[in-house]
Amino acid sequence: MYSNNYTLFFVFIVTVVLGTMLSFTKDSVKDLQDQNLKADVQKTILRSLNFDESLLLTNESIEETFKSSIDAKCVNVEGEIVDCNIEEVDIEKNEDTLPIYIRVDNDEVQGIALPIAGKGLWSTIFGYIALNPDTDSVLGIQFYKHGETPGLGGEVEKKWFTDNFVNHPSKQPNGEIQYIPKKIRDKSGKIVSIKVVKGGVDYSESNTSSIHQVDGISGATVTADGVTDFLLEDLLRYEKTLDKIRDYGTI
Amino acid sequence: MELFNSESKKIVSDPINVNNPISLQVLGICSALAVTIRLDQAIIMTLAVVFVLCSSNVILSLIRNYIPARVRIVIMLSVIASLVSVVDELLKAYLYDMSKQLSVFVGLIITNCIIMGRAEAFALKHGPSKAFLDGLGNSMGYGLIIIVVSFFRELFGAGTITLPDGGAGYVLWSIPESWYAAGYENIGLLVLSPGAFIILGLVIWIQREFAGVEEDA
Repeated sequence: MYSNNYTLFFVFIVTVVLGTMLSFTKDSVKDLQDQNLKADVQKTILRSLNFDESLLLTNESIEETFKSSIDAKCVNVEGEIVDCNIEEVDIEKNEDTLPIYIRVDNDEVQGIALPIAGKGLWSTIFGYIALNPDTDSVLGIQFYKHGETPGLGGEVEKKWFTDNFVNHPSKQPNGEIQYIPKKIRDKSGKIVSIKVVKGGVDYSESNTSSIHQVDGISGATVTADGVTDFLLEDLLRYEKTLDKIRDYGTI
Repeated sequence: MELFNSESKKIVSDPINVNNPISLQVLGICSALAVTIRLDQAIIMTLAVVFVLCSSNVILSLIRNYIPARVRIVIMLSVIASLVSVVDELLKAYLYDMSKQLSVFVGLIITNCIIMGRAEAFALKHGPSKAFLDGLGNSMGYGLIIIVVSFFRELFGAGTITLPDGGAGYVLWSIPESWYAAGYENIGLLVLSPGAFIILGLVIWIQREFAGVEEDA
């Protein structure tokens, strides 16, 4: 039987040794981890903007592609460009500095990516939605950080789910498959966003809003409702900016 | 002590076969179900568990004569938790995509019953070299089963075989399109947890048959 003092001393020593080992490890790989995180965010933006996967294989190629083809800036809710350090903007809290990433090829806008973030069931979900230059149809949507249950809410990051936001393959009477794009604006041009529907989207003729709806995830209704809510909220913050791009082709 | 005498061999080979932690003792099932969706995840998970179990066994065996019995569980947990955190940090730095896929399950190695179990049952009673061999045998026994389970789950569930490659995984083989055109379909159930239970159950059955183990009635 050891004395209390010995026990306390032993536990203390073990804690100090393990603590040192951990902080040493963290310290020596911190830079690499930060690079990975940064590349992951850039990769998400590029993916949502429909860049070819072959450009996104290494951190270096991601950074290069990002630098050469993305025009990153901040706007306010009025649609005016404001100064910002775009990497430091807290997209969840900030109301008046809104990051926007524009894909420009040959001086022409090819797509616009906007950060989206909001509560799911357990965690905040972070992602990007990219719109075509008409600022109506969706180019892509990607989620990169969340703490939802793998297999249930975690499915939001899967291709089958994100592909739903782009278009819906519809079989025509003549047997051909036509891809019907999803839209974030209604006929009058108002932003109505896209809703994640419990069960599945009703694609019959009578459901006129099916272009504003996507299939939900079974077992993850709360996560899906969260996505619906923050998608609308975040898109509305960019309404004036998007109107400007649609009408003038630039901000 | 000679490293490769028959006793040492037994320490390594028993947990791989006749005393397998998963199929015979049915320990460490939670992660065995969770990380067996794809082969590459199972392989990386195996390496992580081999590292953690071997190191924790050796470290605890080295200090076994100094650990006050009253606080031994706390000490074991701190050592194991620190090692797992190190693995987690290294994965985030060097295998970022893989660490995203494995998500919480790397951290959950801490609660893997095999690791605490081997520390308590073996490492605290034996010298470091034996403890190392015991760790190696048990982690490989664990790895063998999850690699077999994940192989079948991925092959029949998703139609691919993926090896780890530092990025999002290298697809070694996938079921050709012509099979799908001919009417072949993946078994979606296998990708979900019930599929893991079914495959694991079959593996346990076959492995016990093979090892000649019978439960007392």
